[in-house]
Amino acid sequence: MNGPGLFTAHVPGTSVVHRMPLWLKLVGVLVVGATPWFAQSVWPLAVTTVVLAGVVLAARLPSRRLVRSMRGLLPVLVVLLAFQWWSHDLAYAVRVVLGIVNAFVAAGILTATTPVTDLLDGVVRAARPLRRVVDPEVVALTLGVVVRSVPWVAGSFSSVRESARARGLDRDPRAVVVPTVVHVVAFARSTGEALAARGLTDPADDDAPGPSGPGASSRSAG
Amino acid sequence: MTEVRLEAATVTVPVDGSPGQRTRTILGPVDLVLAESRVTVIGANGSGKSTLLRLLNGLVTPTSGTVTVDALDTVRHGARVRRRVAFAFTDPISQLVMPTGREDVELSLRRLHRSRTDRRAAAERVLERFGLAHLADQSVYDLSGGERQLMALAVVLATEPGLLVLDEPTTLLDRRNTLRLRSLLASLPQSVVLATHDLDLALHADRTLVVDEGRIVFDGEPGTAVERYLALSDAP
Repeated sequence: MNGPGLFTAHVPGTSVVHRMPLWLKLVGVLVVGATPWFAQSVWPLAVTTVVLAGVVLAARLPSRRLVRSMRGLLPVLVVLLAFQWWSHDLAYAVRVVLGIVNAFVAAGILTATTPVTDLLDGVVRAARPLRRVVDPEVVALTLGVVVRSVPWVAGSFSSVRESARARGLDRDPRAVVVPTVVHVVAFARSTGEALAARGLTDPADDDAPGPSGPGASSRSAG
Repeated sequence: MTEVRLEAATVTVPVDGSPGQRTRTILGPVDLVLAESRVTVIGANGSGKSTLLRLLNGLVTPTSGTVTVDALDTVRHGARVRRRVAFAFTDPISQLVMPTGREDVELSLRRLHRSRTDRRAAAERVLERFGLAHLADQSVYDLSGGERQLMALAVVLATEPGLLVLDEPTTLLDRRNTLRLRSLLASLPQSVVLATHDLDLALHADRTLVVDEGRIVFDGEPGTAVERYLALSDAP
């Protein structure tokens, strides 16, 4: 497993960014994410990048985490830059890439400076008007599990790639993609089982039947 | 003391691709009353140990027969049963569903403490009780195997259930962490039911069940149970 990136865990702190209300951070992420849609040149995006770098410094987030997070994204960005340059022009390609980098860093700052439990509380509050349609706690829990699963999936991809390389199959995409998908599905299944075992998927105030219904999965015969 | 009662509990699974949806019995019928403080379950891989454990908190429900925990049926009162019966898996990383241990303990406490301040204070107390406060803000991926297993236990015990069920909790641990876990389990006020391949650990119980091919083939004193299991394993 790789070391922690910005999305892996909350970085405890007392900086002004840490103390900022959740809604303000969410608005910030939305604004950063929307900027590429309205920017007519590269400058607004470049300014946003500089501002975000300032926020990272103000929050005293470990730069190693930022670099580690970006390293995983780098190959995608290079391919994207090349493709957009080829299909449009260099200025457009730089705008696309900077837009993605900014959104990635802004989301990373949000998760690194906000405990997931505070995020969950925020999501529960936001989803409360929809409680007739969907349980706000389930929405929040889903978000929490997604945040926690990102580094696992990245780590799994990396170990599968190493195994494929050891077998001389690193040039065969199937040898990397298929086992990764199998790992991710197994991980999702065991995470779901753990959530069910802890009663986190049960309705809050009443009884619920067993999560698997009558019968059992053959997986648990051990 | 939590009492678990299994009456003719049977678990079957459909056999894929069989004509007329044939089924295969993977456990049972089992009749048991578990009321001891420490119960261990031993048996070969695929014998039905994990299915038996999963029946105890309603994670798996019986195809026929009944399972009750303190008179609560695991099918009709699943949510209430799971509040009384905590379950710890072999691999703690699948148990820890939040990025850090502190957040995971707080997640367990969400329904008990609606106020964020109360929840934080309660989580702090749980982490201190388990000697894990110094690891609370580390990513769960940065913890060692032993630390992860202890954190996973703290997470499921945070709600103070009456019964703790563990499925092969020492399989991924080295000897030092196995001993640490064993001592922690011995100190818990909860009743414990655990499946294990560690026969030393199996001996630290009031009662041991031996499971073989979906049946309880021995139920009694741990020393005799281990002898019975070894005889079964060594048989050609």
